[in-house]
Amino acid sequence: MVWHIFKKDWKLLWPFFLAVTAVQFIPAAIRVKLGLFGEDSVLGNALSSATDIACLGVALLAVAIIHQDSIPGVRQDWLVRPVRRGDLLVAKLLFVLGLVDGAAIAAATFQVLASGFSLRESLTAAFFQNLYLTCVITLPAIAVASTTRNTMEWVIGAIVTYLGVVYLAVAFAMIAPGDFSLRTGTAWITLSAGLIVILLGTCVVLGMQYIYRTTAVARGSIAVSCVLFVTVLGFLPWKALFAFQQHLSPEPGAAHSMTLSFDAGLGKYHQPSGLTLSDQELSERINKQGSSAELFLPLSISGLPDDSILKADKSQLRLISSNGTVVYRGVGEKLEVREEGTSNRQSSAYQEFDIPEAIYSPLKSQSLRVEIDYSLTLFRLDTAFGIPALGGDLRSPKVGWCETQVNESRSAVELRCMQAGNGPACATAFLENPSTGGRNPSPSRCEPNYAPRFLRTDTDPISHYGLDLRFRDPFGLARYPVDGPQLPKSQVVLRLYGPQDHFTRQLIIPAISLHDWEST
Amino acid sequence: MIQAHKLWKKFGRHDAVRDLSFAVPEGSAFALIGANGAGKTTTIKILMNILHATGGTAEVLGIDSRRLSPRELARIGYVSENQDMPPRMTVEQFVAYLRPFYPTWDAELEKSLLRQLRLPGERRIRDLSHGMRLKMALACALSFRPKLLVLDEPFSGLDPLVRDEFMEGLLHQAGEMTILISSHELGEIDGVATHVAFLDEGKLLFQESMNDVIARFREVRVTLEREPAASTHTPSDWVQLRTMGNVVSFVDTQFSKDALGERVKALLPGVRDIDTQPMGLRSIFTTLARTARESAV
Repeated sequence: MVWHIFKKDWKLLWPFFLAVTAVQFIPAAIRVKLGLFGEDSVLGNALSSATDIACLGVALLAVAIIHQDSIPGVRQDWLVRPVRRGDLLVAKLLFVLGLVDGAAIAAATFQVLASGFSLRESLTAAFFQNLYLTCVITLPAIAVASTTRNTMEWVIGAIVTYLGVVYLAVAFAMIAPGDFSLRTGTAWITLSAGLIVILLGTCVVLGMQYIYRTTAVARGSIAVSCVLFVTVLGFLPWKALFAFQQHLSPEPGAAHSMTLSFDAGLGKYHQPSGLTLSDQELSERINKQGSSAELFLPLSISGLPDDSILKADKSQLRLISSNGTVVYRGVGEKLEVREEGTSNRQSSAYQEFDIPEAIYSPLKSQSLRVEIDYSLTLFRLDTAFGIPALGGDLRSPKVGWCETQVNESRSAVELRCMQAGNGPACATAFLENPSTGGRNPSPSRCEPNYAPRFLRTDTDPISHYGLDLRFRDPFGLARYPVDGPQLPKSQVVLRLYGPQDHFTRQLIIPAISLHDWEST
Repeated sequence: MIQAHKLWKKFGRHDAVRDLSFAVPEGSAFALIGANGAGKTTTIKILMNILHATGGTAEVLGIDSRRLSPRELARIGYVSENQDMPPRMTVEQFVAYLRPFYPTWDAELEKSLLRQLRLPGERRIRDLSHGMRLKMALACALSFRPKLLVLDEPFSGLDPLVRDEFMEGLLHQAGEMTILISSHELGEIDGVATHVAFLDEGKLLFQESMNDVIARFREVRVTLEREPAASTHTPSDWVQLRTMGNVVSFVDTQFSKDALGERVKALLPGVRDIDTQPMGLRSIFTTLARTARESAV
């Protein structure tokens, strides 16, 4: 009878289904039209609304399918018919997960295909991205729908559930501020665990409703699932998360010879001139003034392989007083050390910690023991590509699709890339003139996501990444080896780095005075 | 066919059904009678496993009502005044949707019922009148020749013409089936019910065959030579006792033609005349309901 029930729902809902399917294609078409550089601001603004409407459409259609034979209540005709509840559930899931999500996959596949990727890549990217959307939109929508009688009740239920999750998240963030693993490359593990909670919660709720019709218990299960979901997102222990990530290291032990030590000889850190900071860095610095003290600890790093990047996923600081009491626990700012080319010398870096002024003031002159637990990732150069600096166009399975163009103020070459699924974890790029050997400084984009390539947690099945490569200082204060006139003969060298080893190190400084390492 | 044993249903602090036990014999047309809010619909929804009882058990077709499976439901027809059917389906679509669920569905009977009840097949359910919807529900309930037909307030809001059509359709196909019908309109079950149960505020006042009920209730009017003494004691089976001058009237709930005269004369001195009148179902129901409420106060 599954097919019979399915056909009944189809006869009643096909116009709604076609409308929602059409709506799915709108954001996909906008993304294709925006391309790599996304210069059409009207379309860019419309994309967000179109995406929201498409997601809402999927949710409402899924709800309508469930509500054709709603579970709570005592007036529904199907309750007195010889309808197997298992058949009813399977028919509903077939419609929601087969047809509705199938249409979403078709729209995403169209987008990836139209962006020039292969059919195989397109289908894989669309399928896995839709898996994420199913977990965050469709499953919660049908879980709540199975405990409500009509759309109005569902809207109320959905709002209550959403506000509950937000309230819990805010409450949990206040309990453990700044300690979210979601800001690291291991976020995919946390999110996957959260999605598993949603999946299991939905299974429990649907089971409760379709087998036992116990709406009160099912609603309770939704509440418990929400608490579990937020708990998983906020409180999965970092050590366990990182240990799991370590097990997935492509080359375990690749960083075994790498050491990290406190190097007082490097001297005190001096803040760079405001001119060299980006707008964002400048505004961050202004915001911090007065509220916290910036501590910069000089570090010496040895054993870094050639063409590698070392990135701290998390640095957990403990300040311990002379009597052995931990007087402060905090998390460090980002630490990234690059070793480009071949070099045997030691690398150095400054590790920043922002300590609240109220804590810092009484401690700054004391002699304290500092312990830092580092969770680190070593990236190795995976591949490098050269693209003409002007009008460059590169397509490759590893890099995806990249283009270059000069920006409006004619001060930088914009390199923009897209990749089906997740893009590279780390990338650097620089302008190079092969005929003169001149090379400009290379910025990096290293916001790692260690998720498998196609495990994408976003509404867009394609990831976008890019870098701006300066060749002219609009203020005339700096000069670049590769400048504007050389661009026709120059190329952008794009270097992609992949994570090789996730590992931990502990740094212990037996006694320092914080005041000595405050930035100037 | 149906056995209810000490059924109890609470909604919050309100007892909708209290300690309800009754049995519906196979082949009977069992009427569940009671005023609005008496607990009839709640009882039926428990029997159909739509609601769960707070206490007690019920058996339908020999199965615990909480375990009614599609196998049993395929032999039960159900018509209710407040049954939500898919509003966007046409009558034909709905009937076609139901057909495969019932192994005993009789397509010829379905056609004849739709014709007899003059149901427009192409019209959407949401566009049908209340009466039309009930007739459609009846056609759907009868088309598979159910063993048990449950009718929950089927006449509510029907005009006399539609009611007659409904009854005609029902009686024409009744055959061997057992019928459980709930109603607060007593005139409507007259001539249909073979057994009756009276419910009041969730409690069962009595259940018995229709013939026995009609036989044991009489309106009695006794004319005395003089006004009776105020302290006269009367038996508990005489209810709704009224005195007006030298005339005493009451309802005898255990009427026996032979015994009444002697009992009256023993309790009321100076009897000049005794007049008994048979009672209609409506009068019996109102008398019982009133008595139950007065004794509760």
